[in-house]
Amino acid sequence: MTTPASAPTTAPRTPGALASLYRLMLSTQVTRARVLSLVALGLVSVLVGLAIGRSGHADPLRAGTRFVFVFGLSVLVPVATLVFASASLGDPNEDGTLVYLWLRPVARWKIVAAAALASFSVTWPIVTIPLVLSAALTGAGGTLVAATVAAVTVSVIGYVGLFVALGLRVKRALVWGLLYIFIWEGFVASANSTAARLAIRSYGRSVLTRATGETLRFSEISSPWQWLVPIVVCTAGLAYATWRLSHQDIT
Amino acid sequence: MNAPVEVTDVSKWFGPLVAVSDVSFRIEAGVTALLGPNGAGKSTMLRMLCGLTAPARGTVRVFGGDPRRDLALAGRIGLVPQQEVVFESLSAFEFVRLAAVLQGVDDPDGRAVAALAVVELDPADPRPTASYSKGMRQRVKVAQAIVHDPDLIVLDEPLTGLDPRQRLHMIGLFQQLGAAGKCVVVSSHVLDEVERFGSRVLVMVQGRLAAEGDFRAIRDLMDDRPHRIRIRSDKVREVVTGLLGEHAVLAVRIDGPDTATVDTAEVARFRHAVAVVAQQVGARLHEVTPLDDDLESVFRYLVGR
Repeated sequence: MTTPASAPTTAPRTPGALASLYRLMLSTQVTRARVLSLVALGLVSVLVGLAIGRSGHADPLRAGTRFVFVFGLSVLVPVATLVFASASLGDPNEDGTLVYLWLRPVARWKIVAAAALASFSVTWPIVTIPLVLSAALTGAGGTLVAATVAAVTVSVIGYVGLFVALGLRVKRALVWGLLYIFIWEGFVASANSTAARLAIRSYGRSVLTRATGETLRFSEISSPWQWLVPIVVCTAGLAYATWRLSHQDIT
Repeated sequence: MNAPVEVTDVSKWFGPLVAVSDVSFRIEAGVTALLGPNGAGKSTMLRMLCGLTAPARGTVRVFGGDPRRDLALAGRIGLVPQQEVVFESLSAFEFVRLAAVLQGVDDPDGRAVAALAVVELDPADPRPTASYSKGMRQRVKVAQAIVHDPDLIVLDEPLTGLDPRQRLHMIGLFQQLGAAGKCVVVSSHVLDEVERFGSRVLVMVQGRLAAEGDFRAIRDLMDDRPHRIRIRSDKVREVVTGLLGEHAVLAVRIDGPDTATVDTAEVARFRHAVAVVAQQVGARLHEVTPLDDDLESVFRYLVGR
């Protein structure tokens, strides 16, 4: 019986540590149940897009824009991002495996960054592919497709930061996240334009309507802010998660 | 000269629950066993040694630094946590290799293979750890804790779930690591387990440090205390009368027609005497059971003395 030979411990090379954490986060987030349920939700959007296209709507761009907002940016994108992002650090925090990442000489921001990158890279295709398909099937043309990609990307960025932090901060983050999505964003933030600015969906909606030239309620956020605010929200969420990871008890 | 681990006046509470109360000790190189019943505060203390939680009061120093704040210290610590769960989608090799990569060691593949060999697991086993038995998971946890050759190895109930042969193997490994100059801290609530470590012992009870020192001294202390034993025999009165005559018991209480409870200060002498007396009076012994030999009562004695 021998113990491993002594070797000097050096600081982990950033690509190695970050890439390993990223791969781990991907493997722990992507479960069959999550993917299948969200793919099924995406298929619904494809079917609705097809129905809009077949209905011979007088203004397919307007109908398609409304659909992408009402179903895509208001339901599919936030829910899918919540499912993956809140689990990225929330699951290991709750099941006790976080200790295997925490008790390593790895900067906390790298753990959080890996969680966020993994969440983004699994969520983005799962929501973008069906929404792009449904946008194309509405018959609204390339404008709506490009607008959908841009709006979804902005929204996912904002939600990832928010929900990675939420997963680390609260137990049952899925429930709290759904309350945020449907009560705050769906109800409270629809009250007036000021409240709407406190909802991530407003920025995705603004990107969508500016690109398509359509008008939706509370979609008047000006150009730099509709891009910047979700990035700021994401950065702030990840910064909070990093701080939280450094200061919270690890079980 | 500073000890590798120095705990000074440390307390920790969770709301109204006091988990650790005003504990101080030093841990030198070698194997140190942290002994105590469930709920004694052992895991909380080990978590503080690793920086996983901060003491509410007092200081914890590991190699002169604060394990809660000094990120580099994590490279010198290996932890086997109490919880069974590991990253279940990974194979044992992937899990241990991940630990090696995050520790920044050279040749993480080779180190992972070596660490798994130490705990007698097959690095080529492709199965995810989700399919592993409790004992196999325990060994994977040990492998990830030693893969980077840490100076302080903290093991929280590491023998749980292992079969007797694996227990012996692990105890040998801990002793080997201690002999190699590592600081090995092992928690357990099983007295016999700790005895096999042949080590220095810290005894925690109800969040306090009840005793510390060489295990044999503490064991002698435990053996010297009064013991209570129940006897069941077809001639119980004759047996206890004979034991009193042999001065093998201090007190006797008759509990029923065939049952008595006796107190003795010397267990070994009692064991010998009870057999002799039973033979002398022609009695059948149905039961001779220590009533207070469990760890809880030993700890109660240590705290109350």
